[in-house]
Amino acid sequence: MSLFAHYLSLPYLLEGIWFTVMVTALGLAGGLILGVVLAAMQLSRFWVLAAFARGYTVIFRGTPLILQMVFAYDALPQIGLKLSAVGAAGLALAANEAPFIAEMLRAGVLGIDRGQILAGQALGMTPALLMRRIIAPQAIRTMIPAFGNETVSALKNSSLASVISVQELTLRSTQLASSTFDFFSIFFASGLIYLVLTSGVSVVQLLVERALDLDRTPRQARLAIFLPWRRVDLASKLKLAEQASSAADLAHSPPLDVPAPLPRAASRSDRAKHAAMVQRNNVAVEVTGLRKSYGGQTVLNGLDLTVRVGEVVALLGPSGSGKSTLLRCINHLEDWDSGMVRVGGRRLGHRDDGRRLSPRAIANERASVGVGMVFQQFNLFGHLTARENVAGPLRWVHGMTRIDADRRACELLERVGLGDRADALPRHLSGGQQQRVAIARALAPNPSVLLLDEPTSALDPELVNEVLEVIRRLAIDDGLTMVISTHQIRFADEVADRVAFLSGGSILEEGPAHDILSNPRNPVMARFLSAMEADKAPEGAA
Amino acid sequence: MRERFSTKTGMRRLPSAAISGIRNAALAALFLAGICAPISASAAPAGCAALQAKYPAWKGKTLVNAINPHTPGYEAIDPKDPDKYVGFDIDLGEQIGDCLGFKLTYKAVTFAALLTTLSSGQADIVISDIYATKERAKAADFITYSKVFDGVLVAKGNPKKINGINTSMCGAAAAENTGFVEVPLVQDLVPKCKAEGKPEPTLQLYDNNANCIQAILAGRADTYVNDVNTVDQAVKANPDKLEKAIAVTIPYSVGIAVPKDKPEFRDSVLAALIEIQKAGIHKELLKKWELDPNNFKEPDILSAD
Repeated sequence: MSLFAHYLSLPYLLEGIWFTVMVTALGLAGGLILGVVLAAMQLSRFWVLAAFARGYTVIFRGTPLILQMVFAYDALPQIGLKLSAVGAAGLALAANEAPFIAEMLRAGVLGIDRGQILAGQALGMTPALLMRRIIAPQAIRTMIPAFGNETVSALKNSSLASVISVQELTLRSTQLASSTFDFFSIFFASGLIYLVLTSGVSVVQLLVERALDLDRTPRQARLAIFLPWRRVDLASKLKLAEQASSAADLAHSPPLDVPAPLPRAASRSDRAKHAAMVQRNNVAVEVTGLRKSYGGQTVLNGLDLTVRVGEVVALLGPSGSGKSTLLRCINHLEDWDSGMVRVGGRRLGHRDDGRRLSPRAIANERASVGVGMVFQQFNLFGHLTARENVAGPLRWVHGMTRIDADRRACELLERVGLGDRADALPRHLSGGQQQRVAIARALAPNPSVLLLDEPTSALDPELVNEVLEVIRRLAIDDGLTMVISTHQIRFADEVADRVAFLSGGSILEEGPAHDILSNPRNPVMARFLSAMEADKAPEGAA
Repeated sequence: MRERFSTKTGMRRLPSAAISGIRNAALAALFLAGICAPISASAAPAGCAALQAKYPAWKGKTLVNAINPHTPGYEAIDPKDPDKYVGFDIDLGEQIGDCLGFKLTYKAVTFAALLTTLSSGQADIVISDIYATKERAKAADFITYSKVFDGVLVAKGNPKKINGINTSMCGAAAAENTGFVEVPLVQDLVPKCKAEGKPEPTLQLYDNNANCIQAILAGRADTYVNDVNTVDQAVKANPDKLEKAIAVTIPYSVGIAVPKDKPEFRDSVLAALIEIQKAGIHKELLKKWELDPNNFKEPDILSAD
């Protein structure tokens, strides 16, 4: 053991590190490229590609690396592919790492909240754009620990290259041990070298994790502590704290910057006038004979619905009555079995000759037709600030410049009462605030129709009003065409021109909101309304 | 002659193309010095000039010698300068190269991979204390050059009283290198031990010499049978823990392996070896590496056909 230090500094062993690192780097880089291809194949719509990738994974994950190394080194030359020892080891390691990296990538992609992908699709993002802007940035963050693991394991696995004459650390250690008989000193030395290398990987991993941590204080702020003029910074901190606390207040009390609820219309006659006027407008959405079933379950059963420009239609009905599915079909987020959906006179999802469109073409169609969508679970992009949630899609889908997109985002956030929270991440916003950002995001591209799928169902009761207020203003001030599925009967009565009651995948009753809600003719609807009233009763009694 | 060997050591580098990228300046200088060292063709035996004329195909080439550098005395890295390989086989290979006009670089592989490395074309020649057997001759042609004496390595005091590759090994654990000819010799003892009603010997396979020796030092194995010189070296390194129980003759010869599809190369190596022996260099090398002169053997070809 006395020679431990001698071996630790022996150039012969230290040079072995270079081969170890070289093989590891080749293996990881190749594995990453191959892994991306494999993961893409497995996630693809085409089953042949997926099956091929599966087969590759079974073979290369299921056979020992040492055999793959020998194969790359000794068998490939038989077919004329004679790689250097380092090349063969790098190839074998890459081929072996690829399935593991592919599974990591796949897990990362599948781990992204499905709702965010739906929201991205609804905003007209193509699959490639979704991958680049929404899925990849979030998936990469979650994959870093796994990738650190994989790097350490590849580094250690590179020692197997010793069987094919790569002069890496392990081979050099065993050779040295054979000629000096100084077994333990040498292996302790090379063990320590491996430990230093793997620790290096861990440090890099932690640094990368830190760098990508969304909650991290920006570098400047951290450094500012050491600066002599940090008092200035303290002052601005105080100001921030003040803003933060006022923002917190906002969540609990009725928002200050959202005007108090206006009565929808001064009188019943005004409302009737508005409804009548709307009926003369052009058709914004036309759904005819829409049918859809999952397995044996019929979700939409030959449904017809017409929505005119400027009209607000509330969809009521028990859960499972097909409200959400209908909204998703209008935006073509879901396919249907038969029937037709027209938005602004255009038939969605099909080319002029009736053939189905590709996902990419559907995305472009969504962007150009202009159907905005607001989801029950908000579905904000988790890695982007409130401002970026609104501005990002404007730039990526609609080609707006950064300045224009940011201006539009700020304007919209101001309108939903969140001007001061533009830089907050979704996870730092209350549910009500998130939903308001989601509404701003849906409004940003100036949609011709806004679809709202139970926009307040996931909110705590005290947060419902701030969202309803924003929607109410859109209806009254902006005259926006909207289809809202909701359980808020009173809200529907106040805001909607027309109510449609769905049950079992078709519309049982529809008509002017107030008439229908106060005087339902269909017994199923009457039962539903009284059940909702009964639900409210304790609250009313209190 | 001795001086010539010492000047030549600078030539014996590891696969230099692969390493050159990272060599530091001092090593590179040493390397250049090695290349530039005056090794005149006249140093080779007289008959070599004629051989180079007869077999010009390898003149001026650099060939790859696959070795399992875990056998001090035959092939191992130089403990003083680990970038070099040294030993009897290394010197012999250099002599053959000098005679035929080629240079050698080295590729270190496990023992079991020596012949696969040769047949896959990753190496041109194998000079690595490998015993020429009929089985192995199916994978390569051999030019034999040395008789084989094996030593039986045991722990100090020979607690199991092993006295050869015989039924004294019944019930013992034998450490061996994967692919060594000693493996079937030990396996052949199984029926004999059974016949005598004794427990069978067990085999532990390792991938290099050092691991086999460690197996005895750690008390995992009772014996390790290998070339007698290797065994002697192990005893010399651990005199108070190991001893040689006995030396035995093995019915094999050590051979240089060359690809089966290059008969001309095989013949040229054989011719060069004959020249080297005629010049007395072979015996000189045995003496230099303190090997038993009885190892000396006139060359022969062993091939499957």
